[in-house]
Amino acid sequence: MTPNGIPLVQVTGLKKYYPVGGNIFNPGRLKVHAVDDISFTILAGKSLGLVGESGCGKTTTGKLLTRLIDPTEGKILIADEKNNLVDLAALKGKELKRFRRRVQMIFQDPYESLNPRLTIFDIVAEPLAVQGIGTVLDREVMVARMLEQVGLTPATSFMFRYPHELSGGQRQRVAIARALVINPSFVVADEPTSMLDVSIRTGVMNLMMDLAQQLEVSYLYITHDLAVARYTSDMLAVMYMGKIVEYGPTEEVLHHPLHPYTRALISAVPVPDPTFKRGTPEIKGSISKPINPAPRCRFFERCPIAAKVCEDNDHPPLEDKGGGHLAACYRV
Amino acid sequence: MAEKPLLSVRNLTMIYKTRKGPVSAIDDVSFDLKRGESLGLVGESGCGKTSVAMALLRLLPDNAQITGGQILLDGMDLTTLSEEEMQNVRWKRISMVFQAAMNALDPVYKVGDQIIEAIERHERDIDPAEARKRVEALFHLVGIDPKMADRYPHEFSGGMRQRAIIAMALACNPDLIIADEPTTALDVIVQDQVLRELRQVQKQMGMSMIYISHDIAVIAEVAERIAIMYAGRLCELADAVEIFKRPRHPYTVALMSAFPSIVGEKRPLVALGGEPPDLLFPPPGCRFHPRCPRALDICKQQQPPFEDIGGGHYLACWNPAPVAEVQS
Amino acid sequence: MTTAPAETAFHIQEPLWKIRLRIAWKGLKQSWALFTENKIGLVGLGIIVFFGLMALAHPILMHTVWEPNIYDPFIGNDPTILQHPSPPSARHLLGTDPVGRDVLSQLMYSTQSEFVLGLLAAIVTVTIATSVGAISAYFGGALDAFFMRLADLINILPFIALLVVLTAFFDFGMIELALLIGILSGFGGTTIIFKAQALTIKVKPYIEAAKVAGGSDLHIIFRHIVPNLMPLAFLNMMFTVTGAIFSEAALSFFGLLNLRMSWGIMINTTQAAGYLLGGWKYWYLIVPPGLAITLLCSAFYLVGRALDEVVNPRLRRR
Ligand SMILES: Nc1ncnc2c1ncn2[C@@H]1O[C@H](COP(=O)(O)OP(=O)(O)OP(=O)(O)O)[C@@H](O)[C@H]1O
Ligand SMILES: Nc1ncnc2c1ncn2[C@@H]1O[C@H](COP(=O)(O)OP(=O)(O)OP(=O)(O)O)[C@@H](O)[C@H]1O
Ligand code: SF4
Ligand SMILES: [Mg+2]
Ligand SMILES: [Mg+2]
Repeated sequence: MTPNGIPLVQVTGLKKYYPVGGNIFNPGRLKVHAVDDISFTILAGKSLGLVGESGCGKTTTGKLLTRLIDPTEGKILIADEKNNLVDLAALKGKELKRFRRRVQMIFQDPYESLNPRLTIFDIVAEPLAVQGIGTVLDREVMVARMLEQVGLTPATSFMFRYPHELSGGQRQRVAIARALVINPSFVVADEPTSMLDVSIRTGVMNLMMDLAQQLEVSYLYITHDLAVARYTSDMLAVMYMGKIVEYGPTEEVLHHPLHPYTRALISAVPVPDPTFKRGTPEIKGSISKPINPAPRCRFFERCPIAAKVCEDNDHPPLEDKGGGHLAACYRV
Repeated sequence: MAEKPLLSVRNLTMIYKTRKGPVSAIDDVSFDLKRGESLGLVGESGCGKTSVAMALLRLLPDNAQITGGQILLDGMDLTTLSEEEMQNVRWKRISMVFQAAMNALDPVYKVGDQIIEAIERHERDIDPAEARKRVEALFHLVGIDPKMADRYPHEFSGGMRQRAIIAMALACNPDLIIADEPTTALDVIVQDQVLRELRQVQKQMGMSMIYISHDIAVIAEVAERIAIMYAGRLCELADAVEIFKRPRHPYTVALMSAFPSIVGEKRPLVALGGEPPDLLFPPPGCRFHPRCPRALDICKQQQPPFEDIGGGHYLACWNPAPVAEVQS
Repeated sequence: MTTAPAETAFHIQEPLWKIRLRIAWKGLKQSWALFTENKIGLVGLGIIVFFGLMALAHPILMHTVWEPNIYDPFIGNDPTILQHPSPPSARHLLGTDPVGRDVLSQLMYSTQSEFVLGLLAAIVTVTIATSVGAISAYFGGALDAFFMRLADLINILPFIALLVVLTAFFDFGMIELALLIGILSGFGGTTIIFKAQALTIKVKPYIEAAKVAGGSDLHIIFRHIVPNLMPLAFLNMMFTVTGAIFSEAALSFFGLLNLRMSWGIMINTTQAAGYLLGGWKYWYLIVPPGLAITLLCSAFYLVGRALDEVVNPRLRRR
């Protein structure tokens, strides 16, 4: 296991551009900058929350980090068993397959992420079977133990059921078991609780946090809900139109947001307290698609404090504004 | 009670007939709604929120059957009205913003024309120019540029579409608007804008509102009174502040302590075990008893009555939580 | 809090295959329960079973009660009857054909080959369509383009007319015909249906989960995509059987197939001997094979419709 505090994931200059319009003869010059030059580090034992509005590039980032899609550019360094950083973006074939033991993913929709024609045992055992770990009998034991760990007890009563016989919360627990059964050190969780009801959601969130401790995994926890991020992430990254605009310890970012976008986002979150009066978010317009964005701050059009410097220069760099709290803004 | 309520729902009970048997989607639900008041209806998925809304409008599917109770609108029982009489209630007196309605705009017609058509359907003798003017006023009211009336739905963003739907619901100046999860699919910033708009319009026009959501944070922002629904029944109903500061029903308490917030200190979240029941086979007695940490023997056998425990705080529980279990 | 579980009760008592067999059986029972709710499907199934029994009964009858010289479907002839064709009698329940052979015996004998034809064509069609559809959908690109253009090409050509032309060049028996129908509809229209379905499966998150686990393309196709095409496959088999039996009847009627006996041939013989225009007098030559074709085809169609409701819950009544 990677000892706490040393880098587990180190992403540099990661980009993913999707062509839009055009056809095979004329690929078109228009590109969606879904993820546009982002860099961050996740230390072992710490989880990073990734928040932002719909379409800002969260899922794309998650899929890049699990190599479900190939980056346009950039490095994805992930620690291997000996804590050497290996560039996942450059791996191929057998090496990539082997490395997949280290990196797993949990998906948003518990109803679509489990194959309806497989039993729970087959679903959870799939990573083991694919990677050729253990005999069938070993796998039975591993799967049963994992199911108990995610709270599906007794395991034997769940193993040979089909997904449709389980509730949403139980299915998501199965998805968690599948991701953790091969002992990964890093898991991308893409909105794992957003489709669950409040009473179920908290249980799944708590479970994920407990397992992170016990099994020493770190999450990239993707969510659009800042309150959920507060409870699941040690560090928080705020994304806007393919860029990370703010990064820092979660409580610090939530209580002392620096970037005007983060400020607006935080003040728009409803608070479960009728006596609490929150301010009006200061922001104009609405989010648009980052198609060939102009070379200036991505937030310029909506920013309440924009000035000439923001318009004349390229997108601001993500800089340390003190105490490991980073922001990408010329005006803070 | 001094003022007569606009809407008074009395012991409403409704089932869906299915092959496997009756689904008890609404069971013995009672509440009052004053003129100009906004009521939040909270509960988990499948607890019957949409069913209540549809029952109020009598827009239920064929297999649904209201088996008991009354829905009194200014004293008139809607459950006994003929379909024709009901036509005069829908839209004009009670209108609704449906769940996922923003995808229901017809892509081939201009948004403004769709609203005009809705107005004409309900007020046959209205002058087209008049209707047109009203649409522009409505757009202004919900914060859309009136010029957008001549655009097609795909030219609207999600938030604008939702506001157009709200404008449509307001078109006939109803006494009561029911909003079923109107912001669930929206991003927080857009949700914030739509909520503000909705609250403002409601105040300005003096309408009553029933706001349905599974999100207690959103409900806290829009509702003056809050009803908590679980498995087809109301378990608690009180003023918003009362519900949040002095929740008594164990389910309400559990909801509050499971809900994360970005303000205040970061207290640990407590999850509620178990799963909501299948309404085909609702548990006997209190429907919450299998998951309830405070359940007594009586809870398993007898349904707790839904009663006023003082100051308009209604509660259905045999063993309520002591006051002030939740601090803010 | 989850605690590290103790090492108890993890060893499953039964071997895995037994458990799998049991849940497969349970699934089958559930599907059967759903299937039986639809009376139409049961009627269809009843008809199929009836014809199945006829097919099985023929060799038994030939060995026991039926005198081979008289009742053989190809060369039998009843010398006690002077004029053929003869109408139904106690000795020949459906009469005899123009050459003096027993119609019932012919009908029962042919049932066997109709089943072989229908089921073989269906299996070939579905096997091809499932694999090609899954591969096309999963890989896309040039491979997909090739198979789809091929499908279009086959679709454009009129099916029966194509068979007519092909029979002019090759000698077709039942098996060859079954394979041909299977290949044509497998690479043709059926593939397009299967590919469309496979495309919706391909984008499911469980496919992505399999990729993240390190699953190969083949693993994903055969473990995830193909099993999810199976309900569609069963459905399609039923409809293919119908198509195959009809095609055979049509081709045999024109005498284009090299078959010794089939329902189509029975009608063809009647026609060739000029009895088709003889009106109702010779009904016993036309009605039995005609009715058999219609019944068996509709039966498979009905079963298909009922299966459709089992596999597509949307069509089910609440
Ligand atoms: N395969 C694709 N082809 C073209 N554009 C794409 C593709 N996938 C994503 N995009 C675009 O990239 C941008 C980022 O998408 P992404 O799914 O990463 O957003 P997200 O932050 O996960 O949003 P959500 O909260 O809605 O899940 C969006 O503008 C989206 O339209
Ligand atoms: N037409 C129907 N036939 C049978 N059962 C139904 C029908 N419509 C709803 N139900 C059932 O009735 C119950 C209440 O459904 P309803 O849609 O009112 O819940 P809801 O609280 O609005 O849920 P959500 O938050 O998911 O919208 C559910 O258990 C549902 O499965
Ligand atoms: S009535 Fe009993 S079971 Fe129901 S909420 Fe109250 S204490 Fe719990
Ligand atoms: Mg996403
Ligand atoms: Mg609903």
